[in-house]
Amino acid sequence: MATARKLLKYKPSKFDYKKNLRARNISQKIAFGIIWLCAAIAVAALIAIVGYVLINGLPAVNLEFITTRPAGGVSGEGGMSTTIVTTIYLVIITTVIAAPLGVLAAVYIVEYAEETETGGSFIFAIVKYARIGVEILAGVPSIVFGLFGFIVFVSRLKLNFSLLSAGLSGACLVLPVIIRTTEEAVMAVPRSYREGSLALGTTKWQTISGVVLPAATPGIVTGIVLSIGRVIAETAIFWVTLGGSYRLPRDIMSSGRTMALHVYSLASETRAFDKALGTSAILIIIIVALNLAINLSSRQFAKKFSGK
Amino acid sequence: MKMIKTIDFKRKTIRALSIISSIVSITMLVITILGYFQRITLPFSPILILIIGSLFSILIALSAVGLWTYKNWARSIIFSLAILVILYFFITTIFKFAVIVFGGKEVTPIPIILRTFFNFFIVKLSYKIAIPFILILIFRYQEEGFIENQAQRNFFDNSIRYVLLLAASSSLFIVALIFIFTFSESTLAIEEIGLEEMLTGTIWRPGSIIGNDTAQLGMVPMIIGSIYSTIGAVVIGVPLSVGTAILLAEIAPQIVRDIFRPLIELLAGIPSVIYGLFGMIVLAPLIRNFEVSGNSGFGLLNASIVLAIMILPTITNITEDALNAVPDAYRKASYGLGATKWQTIRTVVLPAARSGIIAAIILGIGRALGETMALIMVIGNSIAIPTPLNENPFTLLLATARTLTGNIAVEINYAAGAHRSALFFTGVLLFLLLLIINRVAHYMMRERKP
Repeated sequence: MATARKLLKYKPSKFDYKKNLRARNISQKIAFGIIWLCAAIAVAALIAIVGYVLINGLPAVNLEFITTRPAGGVSGEGGMSTTIVTTIYLVIITTVIAAPLGVLAAVYIVEYAEETETGGSFIFAIVKYARIGVEILAGVPSIVFGLFGFIVFVSRLKLNFSLLSAGLSGACLVLPVIIRTTEEAVMAVPRSYREGSLALGTTKWQTISGVVLPAATPGIVTGIVLSIGRVIAETAIFWVTLGGSYRLPRDIMSSGRTMALHVYSLASETRAFDKALGTSAILIIIIVALNLAINLSSRQFAKKFSGK
Repeated sequence: MKMIKTIDFKRKTIRALSIISSIVSITMLVITILGYFQRITLPFSPILILIIGSLFSILIALSAVGLWTYKNWARSIIFSLAILVILYFFITTIFKFAVIVFGGKEVTPIPIILRTFFNFFIVKLSYKIAIPFILILIFRYQEEGFIENQAQRNFFDNSIRYVLLLAASSSLFIVALIFIFTFSESTLAIEEIGLEEMLTGTIWRPGSIIGNDTAQLGMVPMIIGSIYSTIGAVVIGVPLSVGTAILLAEIAPQIVRDIFRPLIELLAGIPSVIYGLFGMIVLAPLIRNFEVSGNSGFGLLNASIVLAIMILPTITNITEDALNAVPDAYRKASYGLGATKWQTIRTVVLPAARSGIIAAIILGIGRALGETMALIMVIGNSIAIPTPLNENPFTLLLATARTLTGNIAVEINYAAGAHRSALFFTGVLLFLLLLIINRVAHYMMRERKP
């Protein structure tokens, strides 16, 4: 009733269309201006950070800086050679642990989930909760992973502060990343691939290992590169599991210091900001390179299955 | 005829290999037993010898049995064992090589590196991995000699399912382990100090530092520090990131999108310590320009700005997805009614994407609450409840504070007893809080989908 009365009262003749349009256009311009400003501030912040670190950090970087070992202590002298090696070790250990586990888990969640729906309710429940488990794991803050690694690997299993305990905790951190990207990649493989393979008389696992996984490889590689980026960038978890010795790890059971940890130690303990900035500059260059690699491989993956 | 002959020859080699591997298996078993009772000295601990030696000898014996009847799985076992051995030698040699090259104060000069590379790495490694490598080559050459029947394939197909199931439940297993272990570690604090004391106590003073004073472990200062810094980050970060998302999804021409989107992605990948370093070196001196006594440059304002930049990519990406998910028909209908672009965005697109945007903000809050190292570097880390520095309430922003996450990272390495247990209780709190936050966000995002 009320709306009907309103409609009756509506008098279009008194409406100034031109003025109204102008007001609307002005408000649009103001709003768009604010939005452009927001985006500009966001991008300017990025450019400010990256630019500042690169401009002030790169002068400190030279061959000597990269090839000498950190002196340790509070002096902040020395370079960063051992931290690069430790980072590479840690990346390899984490990937070796997390990648097979994550890929297999994703394959199960994608390929076997539907058939267990009809099967036993217990197995179906595990798949259902495995998905939720991945979601939960992705949301756990890294310091809690650190606490977990500290109590389980460092103190209960007596692995001490070592590459192994840091690698195991790091694997827990990147597991959801690998599972999610692999899930997407495996799902993107067209159904016809599987049907073609099954029609040749292969078993399900032969189809998966021989056809689906090779086809999904670029997507899986994207996930692994993403997780490598996570490991390189992560600090909190390794702060409580890796120890932080500036010396070179002699085996898998010895403590070490990644590049990101080195930045933190330099900035908070020594105030050798130029060296911290130099290390940060190298970190940023690595991250940019990894991002480019991800863009390339995901584009390749998209190209592979588009139009087919 | 010739082909049958070659296969016959290959089968003979396989039988020979089977005999060799059974001998190897028996020898290994003998070595294991002797090593376990320490009749001969081996460079490993007895228990390790027992486990690895018996495992290997059983596997090799199994494959010897399989090889005698040309079974394919026996080949797989030998293959995997050979690859494992190669990997082991490879890893240990790399560690030794790295110690030679990087172990000193400086990296050794390039000629010496090259010399050690050839002498040590190539020669020693190839000497060690020669036997497994030759084995792999032989088995590759003998491929046709093996048989693989349907029953075996089906058996493998059925058993791999359970391996995969095990892998799939690993995430669930890890979540359970995290909860169990952090919770069981925190029971001591709950018993000794009490839940109420920890959640409402306003003084954090671990007894081990003070001396014989009883420890006071109230978490209110850290809870307030976390809340304040997160609110600050949301106030600064949400307008920026939602604005960026609207620009990218609705307004900007394609070129701008192609430039901005990778930049935002890059922002997500930058290590958090670099944000912290930026806050320390650039923002702190800037903030110090406010002439207020007690202003150190470190504190809530600095932390909020740094956090706002860190949560920006999270919120922007999810908001953009939500905006892109709004059907184009909605926009066209709105344009058809004569609405301008901004009116369409404000009254049609944003309300339609509302739940997605709220989910994005919630996830951003989660990210801000979980952030650790960058905050330690910029927030000042004082254990007191942040209060305004003078009468002006805005000087609260310049006060130093400490977050829940930062408290764990700063104190865990030397904490013991009830103190350490209280830190684990903080971890449990964070875990549960972020669990709730993420569940709510996922619920909101799922609601969006029709």
